[in-house]
Amino acid sequence: MHPSDNVATAVEEIRPGEVVSVPFQKEVITLRATEAIPFGFKIALTEIAQGEVIRKYGEVIGKASMPIAKGSLVHVHNLEGTRGRGDLEKGVER
Amino acid sequence: MTFMGYVRPDGSVGTRNHVLVIPQGIISKSICDFVPGTKTLISPDHGSGRTANDRETIARVLIGLGRNPNVASVILHAASPGAGYPELRPERLAEEIAASGKRVELIDPARDGGTYGAIVKGIQLAREMVYEASRLRREPVGDEHLCLGVKCGYSDTTSGLAGNPAIGYLYDKIVAARGTAMFGETTEIIGAEHALARRAASPKVAGEILEVARIQEERAKATGLDIRTVNPVPANIKGGISSLEEKSLGAIHKAGTSPIQGVLRYGERPPGKGLYFVDNWMGHLSIFAGYAAAGANIVMFQLGGGGVAGRTLLEGSPSVVVPFLWTTANPRTYAAARESVDFYSGTVIEGTETPEEAGERLYRTVIEVASGTLARSETLAYTDPVQIYLQEPVF
Repeated sequence: MHPSDNVATAVEEIRPGEVVSVPFQKEVITLRATEAIPFGFKIALTEIAQGEVIRKYGEVIGKASMPIAKGSLVHVHNLEGTRGRGDLEKGVER
Repeated sequence: MTFMGYVRPDGSVGTRNHVLVIPQGIISKSICDFVPGTKTLISPDHGSGRTANDRETIARVLIGLGRNPNVASVILHAASPGAGYPELRPERLAEEIAASGKRVELIDPARDGGTYGAIVKGIQLAREMVYEASRLRREPVGDEHLCLGVKCGYSDTTSGLAGNPAIGYLYDKIVAARGTAMFGETTEIIGAEHALARRAASPKVAGEILEVARIQEERAKATGLDIRTVNPVPANIKGGISSLEEKSLGAIHKAGTSPIQGVLRYGERPPGKGLYFVDNWMGHLSIFAGYAAAGANIVMFQLGGGGVAGRTLLEGSPSVVVPFLWTTANPRTYAAARESVDFYSGTVIEGTETPEEAGERLYRTVIEVASGTLARSETLAYTDPVQIYLQEPVF
């Protein structure tokens, strides 16, 4: 959706191993999906290191909670939000 | 001239022509059960045991509903549990509504023969008032008299791809015609507040947008929870949304691209024309009554559909006196609940319509409903209670 994005949204179901084309930084790149990407879910366009920010619409939507391989599904299991995180506040009993 | 509406004494224009009976309670409900053409609300929020700020919010909602252009005249009763507080005194409510030039009648069990006597007097008054209202004719007026409110919910990928952009197209068109449009849901701008602030009409408004988002995020953090356990809601996550920031960045598309003229409180009337952000809460029992109190004459719920499988009937959210439209771009949602849905924009994803064509079709739908065609929700006699957006503790 934006040149600085490192994820893209699937507008149809992507099967494991399927090769998809994605507009990325002024060119169209092809990558192989390492797993199923359901309609409306996100696929990693690059290797993303743990702690690295994840961008969609050119904006930060969170950071990687673990290393994410290019072509894999990006969702709540490997992306964590950085906003409204009361659980990370100092002095809060958990 | 684009739609046919009811011109009120203060120059505002109604898309409907109701007699409103308030506050909520057995007197209002009994009068409305007897007299067609009347409206009331069901709500537990009458003000008793509430702080001054919350009581003022309730007063703002009741006064705002009375002043709404869709209301021809108002009956107020003095028997609400909150009526003893200065903010909610019936005389105060009556005076502020009557300032719009409308007829306002006050009934009081203490004076009118007890509860039964007040109901009988109310029925007599209401019959006369709905007859009087029926003598008013619709007149041709322009889009500058439209005042819109929107919420998106159960959002999924179809919301971002086609549903919200259609609303955005409509919002831009109405704002360009000097009409008024409101959007809100403060939690759902966290992560996108900087993008909205860039669209503010002045640095002051930009500061207000950032400030309401900051306060809301502080409240979220004060709970000690990861906000993802609350919002995005489970249906959003099931639809592919991974964080609150991601949801927010998609959600702001429904507001179009016009400059934001100001930040309003829940139920607050916009001071001018154009696009306004409302510091409100996404709850569907809450948000539409707030827009109605602010003077909206059309409200819309843009529905995704992830997580609502099996819902073949979509009842309208409580907007009291304002036509409520369902819009969706999700083909499964549309197919499942066809007679509930006013507008479908999945055509954009299917490639049979451009986003502009879909937006124009939504505009024509809104104009028809504004002129008297029923919103689909108006073909169902069911009303949920209104949850007034109150934010302080109860005592």
